[in-house]
Amino acid sequence: MLELVLSSVGCAALCYTLGRYNRTLALQRWQFVLNAPEERALETLRRRVELDSALARQALDAAERARDAKRPSDALTVLRVALAVLEEAGADRLTRLRAMAVYSRMVRAIRPLPAPSPAPFRGAPLKAMAAFAGLVHGFLVGTQERFRLWLVLMGLGVRIVLHGGRRAVDGALREPANARPWAAFVEGLSDFEALDASHLAAFEALAASLAAVDRGGRQELWERIAGDSR
Amino acid sequence: MSDLPLLIAHLVKLGLVALLAGMVFRGRLGLCWAFTLYVAAVLVGNSLATLVPQRFFTHSFWMLKQGVYDLLKMAIAIELAWRAFAAFPGAWRTARVVLLALLAVSTLSLAGLTPASYNTLWQWQPAAVTASVWLLTATALLVVFYQVPIGEWQRAIMLGLAPYLLVFVTLLSLLRRLGWTVLEQISLIDQLAYLGLVLFWAFAAWRKDETRFAAGPAGSHA
Repeated sequence: MLELVLSSVGCAALCYTLGRYNRTLALQRWQFVLNAPEERALETLRRRVELDSALARQALDAAERARDAKRPSDALTVLRVALAVLEEAGADRLTRLRAMAVYSRMVRAIRPLPAPSPAPFRGAPLKAMAAFAGLVHGFLVGTQERFRLWLVLMGLGVRIVLHGGRRAVDGALREPANARPWAAFVEGLSDFEALDASHLAAFEALAASLAAVDRGGRQELWERIAGDSR
Repeated sequence: MSDLPLLIAHLVKLGLVALLAGMVFRGRLGLCWAFTLYVAAVLVGNSLATLVPQRFFTHSFWMLKQGVYDLLKMAIAIELAWRAFAAFPGAWRTARVVLLALLAVSTLSLAGLTPASYNTLWQWQPAAVTASVWLLTATALLVVFYQVPIGEWQRAIMLGLAPYLLVFVTLLSLLRRLGWTVLEQISLIDQLAYLGLVLFWAFAAWRKDETRFAAGPAGSHA
């Protein structure tokens, strides 16, 4: 009877998990690991980060110029464009952070990252969060745990920045003459760029760890996946 | 062996040949060697028992082939885990611990139940089958936990084998409860379930894997 119960539980767990398993999704999550050498992947990400930052800065500058030229409706429209750029970039960062969290569980060791510090951030919530994370960092022993702490910090940071950006745009819509929402948006953009620098550093550390331990395993893995239906 | 079980045994044989042909045609023989050996062993066991029944349709041969099948089923689970995690040292370390623990528990429980005989097969066979189910389950759980990309073929092997093993354990439990008088009916249901399993695998073996092209890098082995 015990075997019957155990087999039923095991079989149900297997069918549930493998039934819901989405191979295409798993492959997409792994694409950044499987498809490109570390340097190329890092370079692509660096260009993407710079492009996002440049687009958001350009939109913000244009919005500020329109505001200074007393064209509030144009200013607000362009400010919303800047927010849209940030939102799209934020979604991209959050997706990659999730993928990095999954992959960080699989490598034997990760190149250590420095302790989180409030110095690069301008917004009070992010400063407080980074200071707290820096404290927690001291209590964690493993580099993998510390790496994942960084990922959590960056994920929360992106969400805080996006939330702040939306509030700033709402504030500017309500009171176009008020300079405070504009300052908050500038502050948020600066924090997003600081988060992006950490994002790049984390990605680089993960890629380096992969290169250090992998010994051609990725290629074998890809051959196994790709060679499935010859 | 009466007519209906013999007919189903021949259908299983045909299904196994179709399965092997599909594996050869789609290049899936080497994707899990233990599974290939298992299919070949079942085909040989089935052929001997049906084509030379006076010599091989016996309790002692059943015990022998069942022992081989049990070993190969465990080997399938271990090979699938190894193939899924070998490229990932961190995940493979965890998988090794889980699989070793399961193997140790199942070995101890099987050792406690020896000696095995055909007349008491419900006493030792469920433990062996449960061990195989849990080795497969552990692999599936780890695959999902780590989001490791495994092939459709490996997934089909696991998704087919585990439910069949559950049917097998259930039938053994029924046999234990109802006695040898229902052996023929139990065997028939088991044969039908196995035929379903072989057809499922044969279908999976012949099916083309389309996601390969969607997600593959340029210039890969597509």
